[in-house]
Amino acid sequence: MSNDTDMEKIVEVTFHGRGGQTAITASQLLAQLAYEKGFKDAIAIPIIGAERRGAPIQAFSKLSRNKQIKTFDSVKNPDYMIIFDTSLLNIPSIMATIKSGVTLVINSKNPIDTCEFPENIRYYIVDATGICIKQNFMHSSGPILNIPMLGAFGKITGYYDIDTMKKVIYKEFGETRGKKNIEVAIEAYNSVKEVEYE
Amino acid sequence: MVEAQEDFIQERETIIIKGNVAAAYAAKSARVQVISAYPITPQTTVVEKLSEFVDNGEMPGTEYIKVESEHTVMASIIGASTAGTRTFTATSGQGLFYMYEMVHWAAGARLPIVTTIASRAPAPPWNIWADFTDVISCRDTGWMISFAANHQEIYDDVLMSYKISEDYDILLPKFVAYGGFTLSHTSKPVTIEDQDAVDNFLPPLPDERGWPHIFLDPERPMMHGNLIMPSGFYNEFRLKIHHTMLLAKDKIKEVAKEFESTFGRHYGNGLIQEYKMNDADVAIINYGELAMQMEQAVDDLREEGYKVGCVKLRYFRPFPVEDIINVARKVKVLGVADRATAFGSPTGGPVSCEVKSALYNSGVSTQILPIIMGLGGREVTLEQQKNQLKILINLNETGEFPKDMIDGTFWDGLLEVE
Repeated sequence: MSNDTDMEKIVEVTFHGRGGQTAITASQLLAQLAYEKGFKDAIAIPIIGAERRGAPIQAFSKLSRNKQIKTFDSVKNPDYMIIFDTSLLNIPSIMATIKSGVTLVINSKNPIDTCEFPENIRYYIVDATGICIKQNFMHSSGPILNIPMLGAFGKITGYYDIDTMKKVIYKEFGETRGKKNIEVAIEAYNSVKEVEYE
Repeated sequence: MVEAQEDFIQERETIIIKGNVAAAYAAKSARVQVISAYPITPQTTVVEKLSEFVDNGEMPGTEYIKVESEHTVMASIIGASTAGTRTFTATSGQGLFYMYEMVHWAAGARLPIVTTIASRAPAPPWNIWADFTDVISCRDTGWMISFAANHQEIYDDVLMSYKISEDYDILLPKFVAYGGFTLSHTSKPVTIEDQDAVDNFLPPLPDERGWPHIFLDPERPMMHGNLIMPSGFYNEFRLKIHHTMLLAKDKIKEVAKEFESTFGRHYGNGLIQEYKMNDADVAIINYGELAMQMEQAVDDLREEGYKVGCVKLRYFRPFPVEDIINVARKVKVLGVADRATAFGSPTGGPVSCEVKSALYNSGVSTQILPIIMGLGGREVTLEQQKNQLKILINLNETGEFPKDMIDGTFWDGLLEVE
């Protein structure tokens, strides 16, 4: 499903979540997944302040197949935006970063209101919260959304598959803890879908 | 101390880790014997990771001391180093300031302590983000001070530091500084080297006799911390530290060369690293991660046909005077970008002052443009750095300075104030 074939391009991804929704870890895991799958370089850039649970959180990943990544600055024109919480789309500064050409991956059971989207936006939904609740994949402040969101992202982009996720997650969290992660990732991988809209 | 059943052997692997974790891996690879720790943002995860390593038995033979303040961190590390061990700690900003009395002591006692600094802006107002003013304020302590520009360089530079500091001709402590959050909390691929290769590269750990000049040994009693009268050798001791600091430049170059032939990673001549300087009309000096990002800015402007280059300053102490003169000789206009302040100094920026001072009486009349930016972690974007190069190009072509110069320095990225 990958829509960028330029091997020299550095793919830029932004993560929008709320404190506790594990978006920052997601940016790090995405860098690891891409690197594991043969990307030459990757960087994860969390924006760290003094956030509380529930406050808007941003993180970025840059992924490069061939070139060394030399920049450390934030992503302004993302190729992909991964939205952990639809309420963040009510924030004007976040809406403003949705620019023509971007692909959105949104944690939502149902299609969302697209009337404020610019032209030429593709968007996918995956019910990450529902999957986490169903599979009891929770931590102290709610569902662990990064795994299903990354499962969905892998399917959409083809940058990595479930086997890559297995390798990275087992190495990071061990096989015992990792198994549930993979079950959650598989469900998101299989259920993410593009929403066509006018 | 955790009694490991057997030695833990690190195999060569490339992993995606935060800059802080790279610093912790370096201490582990260097087989440091004593770590003293007190948490402070943004350094904390360095000593957290090390405590995990020690707890897991991955650092057999390492003593991990938890203390109640940064002052005691350095005091305990001084004790451990005096007893003849390889030591490590990490700190940031206010923590470093609290440590300051002992920082001078470590250098005066000529102890080869290595400390990483995840640089953080001084308060007030409270600010935990990148700004090198913390480590720069140790300019005159007698510590060697280097900057790492990326995650791999943090790991590599800590290893090189032990080899430089523990050389019997040097025996001075060393800081390795990198941007708080910009490197400490971002993640990139870092190659952790084979334990055997690191063991062969570094000098052997000190034996029970410790360092040649200072020891804690009941068989060889020695007086520590005694008073020296004005007529005593105080002046001569100070001169020796200065002289050693100058000697260290050759040692740093030698170690960088040896590092490259062992591990294959190139760090210029050790003191500075030039990038596309050969035919450049204008260039800019940076340190820390913005030096690496500037390489991208240079690449982008070269694609537009501009002859630009950049220089990564790796060392602030000793300051590479000769190399800076050579760099200045190559170009007509040289920008010097500080992410730090030196209030009331000729330029307001610590490194731009040093560069100007280095050029005095050198016969090189290159135009210097001091730049200050990114204080307190304010983001410095690639576009901003490309704009800085364009300002230098314009200065070279027209002689015009940017409009918003303040007292001879270009403060880039200031907010509009009414």
